[in-house]
Amino acid sequence: MSKFFKRIGKRIVAGLVMILAVSSFTFFLVHFMPGNPVQTKLNTLIEEGIPPLQAQAQVRSMYGFIPHQPLYIQYFHYVWQVLHLNLGKSISYSGVPVMHLLLKAMPWTVIMVLTGLAVSFIIGITAGVIASVKRNSKLGDGLLLLSTFLHGIPQFIMALGLAYVFTTIFKIFPFGAPYNAAISPGFTIPFIGSLARHAVLPIAAYAISGFGAWALTMRASVTSVLGDDYILAAELRGVTPSIRLRYIARNAMLPLFTILTLSVGFMFGGSIFIETIFDYPGLGYTINTALAARDYPLMDGAFLMITAAVIIATIVADLLYTVLDPRIQRI
Amino acid sequence: MATANLPTSHEHIKPWTPPTFWSIAWKALRRKPSRMLGLGILVFYVLMAVFGPMLYPANLPTNPANIYASPSWAHPLGTDFEGTDVLALIVTGSRYVLYSAGLAAFFTVSIGAILGLVSGYFRGWPEAIIMRIADFFLTVPGFPLLVVLSTVWNFGNPVSMGLVLGLTGWAALARAVRSQTLSLRERSFVEAARGLGLSRRQIVFGEVFPNTAPYVAMHFLLAITGSIYLEVGLFFLGVVPFSTNNWGVMLNLAFSQAGAMYSTRALPYLLSPLFCIMSLTFGIVLFLGAVDEVLNPRLRSV
Amino acid sequence: MGADLKVIGNADQDAQVECQIRDLTVTFTTDSGEFPALNHVNLDIIKSKITAIVGESGSGKSTLGLAILNGVAFPGKVTEGSVDFAEHGNVLKLRGKALRHFRGPVVGTVFQASQNAMNPLARVGKQILDLGRSHHYKDPRKLLHEAENLARRMAMDPSRVLTAYPHQLSGGMRQRMGIIMALVLKPKVLLLDEPTTALDLLTQSAVLEIIRSIHRERHLTTILITHDMGVVAEISDYIVVMYAGRVVEQGSTHETLRDPRHPYTRAILRAIPRLTGDLNRARPLEGSPPDLTQIPATGCVFRSRCSYRVPQCDLVAPILESVDTGHFVACHQEGLIRD
Repeated sequence: MSKFFKRIGKRIVAGLVMILAVSSFTFFLVHFMPGNPVQTKLNTLIEEGIPPLQAQAQVRSMYGFIPHQPLYIQYFHYVWQVLHLNLGKSISYSGVPVMHLLLKAMPWTVIMVLTGLAVSFIIGITAGVIASVKRNSKLGDGLLLLSTFLHGIPQFIMALGLAYVFTTIFKIFPFGAPYNAAISPGFTIPFIGSLARHAVLPIAAYAISGFGAWALTMRASVTSVLGDDYILAAELRGVTPSIRLRYIARNAMLPLFTILTLSVGFMFGGSIFIETIFDYPGLGYTINTALAARDYPLMDGAFLMITAAVIIATIVADLLYTVLDPRIQRI
Repeated sequence: MATANLPTSHEHIKPWTPPTFWSIAWKALRRKPSRMLGLGILVFYVLMAVFGPMLYPANLPTNPANIYASPSWAHPLGTDFEGTDVLALIVTGSRYVLYSAGLAAFFTVSIGAILGLVSGYFRGWPEAIIMRIADFFLTVPGFPLLVVLSTVWNFGNPVSMGLVLGLTGWAALARAVRSQTLSLRERSFVEAARGLGLSRRQIVFGEVFPNTAPYVAMHFLLAITGSIYLEVGLFFLGVVPFSTNNWGVMLNLAFSQAGAMYSTRALPYLLSPLFCIMSLTFGIVLFLGAVDEVLNPRLRSV
Repeated sequence: MGADLKVIGNADQDAQVECQIRDLTVTFTTDSGEFPALNHVNLDIIKSKITAIVGESGSGKSTLGLAILNGVAFPGKVTEGSVDFAEHGNVLKLRGKALRHFRGPVVGTVFQASQNAMNPLARVGKQILDLGRSHHYKDPRKLLHEAENLARRMAMDPSRVLTAYPHQLSGGMRQRMGIIMALVLKPKVLLLDEPTTALDLLTQSAVLEIIRSIHRERHLTTILITHDMGVVAEISDYIVVMYAGRVVEQGSTHETLRDPRHPYTRAILRAIPRLTGDLNRARPLEGSPPDLTQIPATGCVFRSRCSYRVPQCDLVAPILESVDTGHFVACHQEGLIRD
């Protein structure tokens, strides 16, 4: 078991180094930004008549920077704060902690993307299995063509297309808000119904644009497993089709679980387009509105959060693989 | 070629010559009509980008009296919210899209191939450093990174756009080229080249690189489609300030300014750039099949 | 149905036929045309004996093995002929469940790539239980007990190998596991496709010894597909020599090795270096193994590599004819071939 922990330990250290690298990146990004926003903010505060010391304290809590300290001290201060999950304060939301805003945005992204991911994964791998098993027939060719086609459509085009068809041409679904503002939020049936109705199109956009990749990957994986000796051997030993299918499925799914875990990590940042097009207040939407409002602490915080999710997912994917594949040494 | 003039009656004694690259390429293209279609689409858009803008004045005329016109002979794709001809916008906008996507692919492939070759062949500390940086770019989600970068770098012009996409997009190729180089450097022909006393640069670029070239060429075409999505996406979100007209800008204006989502009259205005992006990338994907076959001899039919 | 298969000209009067193959033709369809992998093969597999099927790669011996299981898969197809088993009739007509219960309980198979013939994600014991479930075994414990006994016989620790994943076993152990998985359902026919190819010499002889003793003990009918003449000479009773999809010579092993009549058989026997004797006498087989796409449509398939070739060989394909009791050769010049 020690080898296993060593491996995981190594992964966690690598992840921490990566988070350090990304936070350094955002630090220097803000610091070397044209017109240095930190210094500008400090100057405005002083001009507004706030005493210099108090102005410095304000800037410090906002950006996590101490303007008059040497660069390396500012840097360590910033990284130290990041490691304590203190991402500074938002500018456009007048001093609300960035972490607070991000935690509020996260459920929107997570629920929408997780549902979309689950739908596209399930439909995609089913289509992939069929496309592979029936690869010498019209059905298989058709599924391959469909997957390739959908895989080729970028997410924002899919989202725009769906929005246009189902909200403008056919007014089936509402557009442009996470829920109907006329219904007061709460744990009530109309409110949840409204949430669901508004979530259909974003989820569909995410699911349809993800479907192609799952189907193509699964098709390739199943095709490769079908050519493996043990599947033919099982058939010639008279093993029942259902048991054989289990052999095929488990072996073909193995590489896909890793990709799935990574997708969960990448999902936080993968939906800027969908969230923007459908006005869905998740993390991607937050990045985009923060950018428009020049709210750099909020934007950098969201970016750090998105990257951290990917790093954590990489570690989990590695762990999962060790658990699922007996061929990886665990002793 | 001199042999081409030989009388045909001698054909049966003509020694067998290996087919030229172009004859193989032509054969691969002809094997499937979809590949010819792909090539046709590519040529069409390249011609549009190179010569199209010459047909229009530098500043396209606006006509407040004729906004959101339906398609007609005068305006085959209708007009936009200022009364400008949509077809003219598409044609003049194509140059930016193709030019910057081509540059982006060029930078991606150059950086990726060189860093991959260097880290795979020289090993040691260059490899360690390059691969750590590659890890960074592979981990950090690409599009949010571009959004954040846009705050310090106004990369709206085509060259900067190409450069920024290249600088952030090389990591996957570098990893692939590195692992190919790692296996190639142990092969006998590379060892022979070392034995002959060729310089390391000659070995890397003369012996190792040609063997990774097929993969790099494939990646070039894929990088073009990827870059088109990214740049159009950046303009669509309004992350990068508009300097020139292009398809992404059109989408942005159709979506956020023209209110295309709330009325069907702007349909041609919204649909035209969408159709162009889709058909161009499909052209590339179809064409890719032929390139794959030419570069991977195993796929060629007997 | 087909219960009474007739024995054609066998020296052994008591011999019974377990499996009778008639006119079996398998065609492979590719982009460049159709190629016969098996061409009108006629063969009797004698009950309770070891029949060796010998040939180079491309001779069609593995395709013959698959056809016996009715397992020829795309792009190959059985276009003609029958494979009759004493109590099961023509297996080429079996479908679905009937076919499934023929494979395994009637014919146990050890595969060519037996190293990789187990699911890498399931423990070996679990895979044996899967076999039991597939063939409606009432008592799984009995099946595992049988597997344990077999493992012990093959000098493996049952508690270790049955709880292991395939990758935790050595190549030789996986090979022996393959034999166990073939025998655990107690079949009456054992089909072995190159069972010793990937093994070192010591393991190879140990595995052969196990096969021979179980064959005797269970009165199995054993079909051994191999390219290794040494293995053939060591354990088989009958030998069938194949070349380019045709049977070119068949007979009892003793008789055939003592007096080979087909130029091809003679050539492969000459190619074996012997420990005793002059190494210089071993002569490699000239020419290259048959290529499915290059087999001539008319005449003898071996003629391009044959030193006894006469004009007749280009025109007429020789048919398998009896040269002695139970010894058949397909060669026009057979009568002239003498040392």
